[in-house]
Amino acid sequence: MNTPESILLVEDDPQIREFVSIALEGEGYEVHEACTASHGAAQAASIRPALLILDLGLPDRDGQSFIQDFRTWSSTPILVLSARTQENEKVKALDAGADDFLSKPFGVSELLARVRALLRRRQQPALDTAPIIQFGDFRIDCVRRIVTRRGKPLHLTQIEYRLLVFLAANPGRVFTHRQLLFQVWGSHAVENHQYLRVYVGHLRQKIEANPAQPEHILTEIGVGYRFQP
Amino acid sequence: MDKDLTGMLPLPFNPYLFVLLVSSVITLLMLPIKDPSFLPNNALLYVLLVVLTGSALGQRPAILAALISSLLYAHVFVPPHFSLAITEIHYLLSAAIMLIVALLVGHLTASLKNTARLVQAQESRTRALYELARKLAATLTRQEIEHTTCRFLQEVIPGCQIRVIEPNAGDSLTPPLPAPLRDALEQRQQTLRTENGDPAQARLLVPMLASSGLHGILVCDLPAAQAESTEHRELLETIASLAAVALERTHFADAAHQSEVRHSTEVLRNSILSALSHDLRTPLTGLMGMAETLSRGRISPERQQALLETLRTQALNINQQVTNLLDMARLRSGTVELNKAWQPAEEVIGVILQQARTQWKDRPISVSLEPGLPPLCYDAVLMERALWNLLENAIKYSPAGSPIEISVCRQDEHALISVCDRGPGLPAGLDSDTLFSMFRRGNPESNIPGVGLGLAIARTIAEAHAGDLLAENRPGGGASFSLRLSLALADCPEEELDEQP
Repeated sequence: MNTPESILLVEDDPQIREFVSIALEGEGYEVHEACTASHGAAQAASIRPALLILDLGLPDRDGQSFIQDFRTWSSTPILVLSARTQENEKVKALDAGADDFLSKPFGVSELLARVRALLRRRQQPALDTAPIIQFGDFRIDCVRRIVTRRGKPLHLTQIEYRLLVFLAANPGRVFTHRQLLFQVWGSHAVENHQYLRVYVGHLRQKIEANPAQPEHILTEIGVGYRFQP
Repeated sequence: MDKDLTGMLPLPFNPYLFVLLVSSVITLLMLPIKDPSFLPNNALLYVLLVVLTGSALGQRPAILAALISSLLYAHVFVPPHFSLAITEIHYLLSAAIMLIVALLVGHLTASLKNTARLVQAQESRTRALYELARKLAATLTRQEIEHTTCRFLQEVIPGCQIRVIEPNAGDSLTPPLPAPLRDALEQRQQTLRTENGDPAQARLLVPMLASSGLHGILVCDLPAAQAESTEHRELLETIASLAAVALERTHFADAAHQSEVRHSTEVLRNSILSALSHDLRTPLTGLMGMAETLSRGRISPERQQALLETLRTQALNINQQVTNLLDMARLRSGTVELNKAWQPAEEVIGVILQQARTQWKDRPISVSLEPGLPPLCYDAVLMERALWNLLENAIKYSPAGSPIEISVCRQDEHALISVCDRGPGLPAGLDSDTLFSMFRRGNPESNIPGVGLGLAIARTIAEAHAGDLLAENRPGGGASFSLRLSLALADCPEEELDEQP
C-alpha cells in the first residue's frame, strides 16, 4: 500500500478534534490538526492534504471566506462541520466551494462514510460523466439521451433529463439549490428555487417508487439535494 | 358674501345694477296707478324691495335700494308727480324709515351670513378634527402619528411647513432651539413664536403636552401674516394636544408591552432552569455513571457493548432536549426569520421519515397523501422541526411497535398534516393551551426523556406560519396531532411550462 492519505482537520474544539483524529487514524489516515483558520491555511499550504475538514465556527475567521481563498489555489475536497441551526452557513460554504457537510452532533460512522466518499471521488479519473450511468432499475445513455427503466424507455422532458443526468453523474454529492439551478437552467435562474422544487417533484414522480419517501433524490433540508444511486 | 352669488350666474352679476333694474321695473309697473289712496301700498312695495335686497344681497345694495326707492317714491308718486319737491313732512319720514329699514335688514343679513359661515367653517373643522382623532386612534407608532399630524395640518393650513420633533431634539432645527426656550415651552405650556431665518415667515413652536409631560414639539413654519391669526394658533394647539395624547398612548403601550415581555422572559427563564436542573441532570448522571463503570473495566465485553450503546442513546436524547431548548429560545427571542418557499408537503415528510428510519428502525410508520394537493408555503427547516417533534412525541408516548400514521389531507382552505398514534390518547379535560404550553409534560416525573417543549415548539412554528396545532383523540384509541396550514392558493406562483421533451 502506498503512503497514507493526509487529512487536515481545522477545528477549535479540542474534544471534537480528539475523537475525529482517533477515528480517522484508526482508519489509517494521516491526520494533521489546526485550531484556527490562519494556522489551518498555513498547514494546508505546506502539507497539501488530500482532504480538508473545516469547522464553520472558527474563532478567527468565517468559514465562507476561508473556503473562497482556499479554492483560489487548491481543488482539495472540503468537508465542513457545522451546528444544526447554521443552514445558511452551510449553503454559503457549499456555494463557496465546499464539497459536503456534516451537522453536529455527528456519528463516527457517518463521518468516515463522508470522508471515504470524498477521497474516492477525488481519485476518480477526470472524466466528468460516464457515457452510461446506471442506478437501481435505471440506465441513462448519455450519448443517445435515453433513460430506460428495466429496458423500457422513460419519458422525460429536456429539463428533467438534464437535472437527472447532473445529479446521477455526481452520486452521493450534495448540491445547493443555487448550484443545481445554475447547472440545469443557467446563471439567470439561480434565484428561482421554485423551478427546482417543481422539477424535482416531477422527477420523483417518474423515478421514485414512492415519491413521498424518495430513495434516489434525497432532500437536504434547508440546503439542497443529494443523489443516492 | 355677494361673491357667492355671482359665482353661480353665467353672466357677471352686479347687485347694484340689479337693484337699479328691479326698482325701475317696479316703478314702471306702478306708474299707471294714479289713485292717491294707493300711495301707502307703493311705499310698502319699495320697503319690501329694500328688505328683500337686504336679505338676499347684503347691506350695501340694500342702502342703494333704499336711496333709489325713496328717491323714486318721492319723485314719481308723491304729489307733485315727477318732482322732488317734497312738501309734506311725512313723505320725508317714509324715505328716512326706508333708509333705516334698509340699514337694519342689511346689517342683520350680513351678520347672519357671517355667523352661518363661521358655523360652517367650525363644523367642517370639527369634522376634520374628528377625522384626525379617528386616524390618530388607529396609529401604532410615533412615526405614524407624526406623519398623520403633519399631513393633516398641511392640508388644513396651506403653505405651511410642519414637523414634529422630539422634546430634546431642539438642536436639529435651523436655527437651533435654545434650551431655555424649550423649558419655557414645557413650563408655560403655550405656543411660542420664533424666526426661521426667512423674514417673510414666522415659526410657531407648539408644545405637545399630555398628562405625563412634553411628548414633542410641533414646529410650524408659515407666512408671517398667517402666524398672527388666532384661528390658526388655536387649530395648531388643538391638534398638538390631540397628537400628544396619541403619542402618550403609544408610549404607555410600549411600556406595557416591555414589562409584559420582561415578565414572560422571567417565567421562561425560571422554567428553563427547572427543566435543566431536573430533566437534563438525570440523564447526565446516567452518562457519568456509565462512563465510570466502563473505565473501571471490570465487566464482560457483552455488558460493555450494551453500556456503550445506552451511552450513545442517552447522549442523543440529551442532544434532542438541548436542541429543543435552543429552538424554543430562538423562536421566542423573535430573531428567527422565516425562509418560506412553495414546496410540496412530501418534501419535509420524506426527510423526517429518512431520519426516523435510522433512529427507530422497528417502528411501522405509514404515510398517506391525498392526491392532487397543491404545494404549501413554508420554511422547510422549521417545518421539519415541528413535524419531527410531533413524530417523536407520538413514538415516545405510544407502546413500542404500535403503528404511527402520517397523513396530509385538505380541509376547506387548509392543509392538515397529521401524526397519529395508537397510544393512550390525550388526558381528559385538558385544553390545548395547557397541552401545548412550555415545560408541560404528560407526567412530570415520568422516565420518558424530555423537557416538555416538543409540542410548544410545534405550535410556535405553526403559528409563525399563520396556522395552528390541533390535538384530538382518534376513534378506536390513540391521539392525533395536526398542523393546520393555510393553502392560500391565490399566492401560489404559476408553474413554468416545460419545453417539449
